[in-house]
Amino acid sequence: MMTLTVKDSQLVVDPPTARGKGRHRRVPALPENSLRRLVANTGVLAARLLRRWSRDSATLFASVIMPIVLLVTVDIVLGEGVTQITKHDALYGTVPLIAMVGIMGGANGSGISLMRERTDGLLSRLWVLPVHRASGLASRLVADVFRIEVTTAAVLCVGLMLGFRFHQGPLAWVAWMLVPVALGLAFSATVITISLYASDKVMVDATEIIWIVLMFFSTGFVPLHLYPDWIQPFVEHQPVSLAVEAMRGLSHGGEVRGPLIEMLLWAAGIAAAVAIPMALGYRKASTHG
Amino acid sequence: MTEMSAARPSVSSVQQWWVLTARTITPTFRNAELPTLAVASIIFTAAFYLPLKNLMGPVIGGMSSYAQYLTPMMAIQAIAFAAVSAAFRSAVDSVQGINRRFKALPIGRLIPMASRLSATMYRCVIALSIALLAGHVIGFRFYGGTAHTVSFCILALLIGATLALLGDLIGTWNENPEATLPIMVVPQLIFGLLSVGLQPIHRFPEWIQPFVRNQPVSQWVIAMRALAGDSTPAAGAVTWNSIGPALAWILGAMLILIPLHALVATRRR
Repeated sequence: MMTLTVKDSQLVVDPPTARGKGRHRRVPALPENSLRRLVANTGVLAARLLRRWSRDSATLFASVIMPIVLLVTVDIVLGEGVTQITKHDALYGTVPLIAMVGIMGGANGSGISLMRERTDGLLSRLWVLPVHRASGLASRLVADVFRIEVTTAAVLCVGLMLGFRFHQGPLAWVAWMLVPVALGLAFSATVITISLYASDKVMVDATEIIWIVLMFFSTGFVPLHLYPDWIQPFVEHQPVSLAVEAMRGLSHGGEVRGPLIEMLLWAAGIAAAVAIPMALGYRKASTHG
Repeated sequence: MTEMSAARPSVSSVQQWWVLTARTITPTFRNAELPTLAVASIIFTAAFYLPLKNLMGPVIGGMSSYAQYLTPMMAIQAIAFAAVSAAFRSAVDSVQGINRRFKALPIGRLIPMASRLSATMYRCVIALSIALLAGHVIGFRFYGGTAHTVSFCILALLIGATLALLGDLIGTWNENPEATLPIMVVPQLIFGLLSVGLQPIHRFPEWIQPFVRNQPVSQWVIAMRALAGDSTPAAGAVTWNSIGPALAWILGAMLILIPLHALVATRRR
């Protein structure tokens, strides 16, 4: 029978770092809030999320199948009309647009799963374990990077089948794949924050409205000059349009730097706005169930 | 013996239905559900009208304005959005176990479903009103007289009931609130985009035209467009040819969905 005293809380259970003899090893533990702990714990928790998502048909559907079907549909419905106007294949706008839509739709699912883990008590359980306090949120963002890349790659594959091509060389291809990450992460952080404060129903509706607005009022949907004048400034400078334009520049050709910088500013601004509410909300969700 | 049977209160199906309906409707006065619903209906109208007006306006074949062409479709989208929430709610009910509890109580097997359906219809009425208001703002008018206007609204609500039954069934069956959103929203967008609601049939590639013409959303749009009428004759006349298929889709879906509901509601595990 082992009784834990305050002193025994120094006990750690990681065998690889433990030295000594016998079954009961006493080693100086890394403090719970050390950077190495953060990296290790984030890795474990992110792997947990990814493993869960990859086995969950809903997440796979939202992040892979839905964007593919949507891309094919939008191309059938609007492809010809838009191509006639822009004089280059509409796919250079729709492929990035649908990738962003899939990324935002997937963030929705992960927000709901966060709410579930809160109700199930998983967040509180992690809070009482010697786990780095920041690893819960950090792991979600790390896992989201993987989710974003999987969605982008899936949409790109179908786009390539439909006639999408890279005309700017392999480096631009790599950059094209990375553009959605910044904005996707900012959107994930927003969804996480909303899901920590609002009720489930409101969160789902609100995020759906956000991505529908960003999708339909963007230059990836129809060319800018077809929108009414009064809404053109919004359409031109909203983050998804900027991502689409940067990605259009990296694939078909055109300006990249301007839209890219503006989009990164958007992402940084969103991240700065939600960072503190998100951290506070996560703490509250972990400590008050 | 008489004492025991006297101690058991009589149950009224209507009262049970009302209590369960109120259970879903009451929270909507306190949380942000109604504002989101209103915003969603307006957003849907704006999201299709503003970008597509200039792209599609010249090709709609004789109707007076793109607003007149588009609004039936917007009404269906707004109602479908309200029905998605039915799926979400029934999935949450299933997960939280309240459906299992209902099964242990002396409640008719379809009453929980019926009450969720009424709550969704309440949302559908709000969504439809706001969609029609938004339509009015962009220039949509009823030209068909009172009877046709009332039929337009009834048809829209019947569509809402069908979609709510479908959503409710999906939610109860898969018991997964996370899955219901993509399962419902994507078909909503795809059926909406691949319909005659946005552009005439000849604008689609030839191989997909049969699907576009015959799928339910297109038939509903055709019927609602005829009922709304237009200042030109291009909207189509109200005949069995234009209304019949729309009603047939609704009737057929109901005939399949209601028995399935009874089946799922009594399923044991």
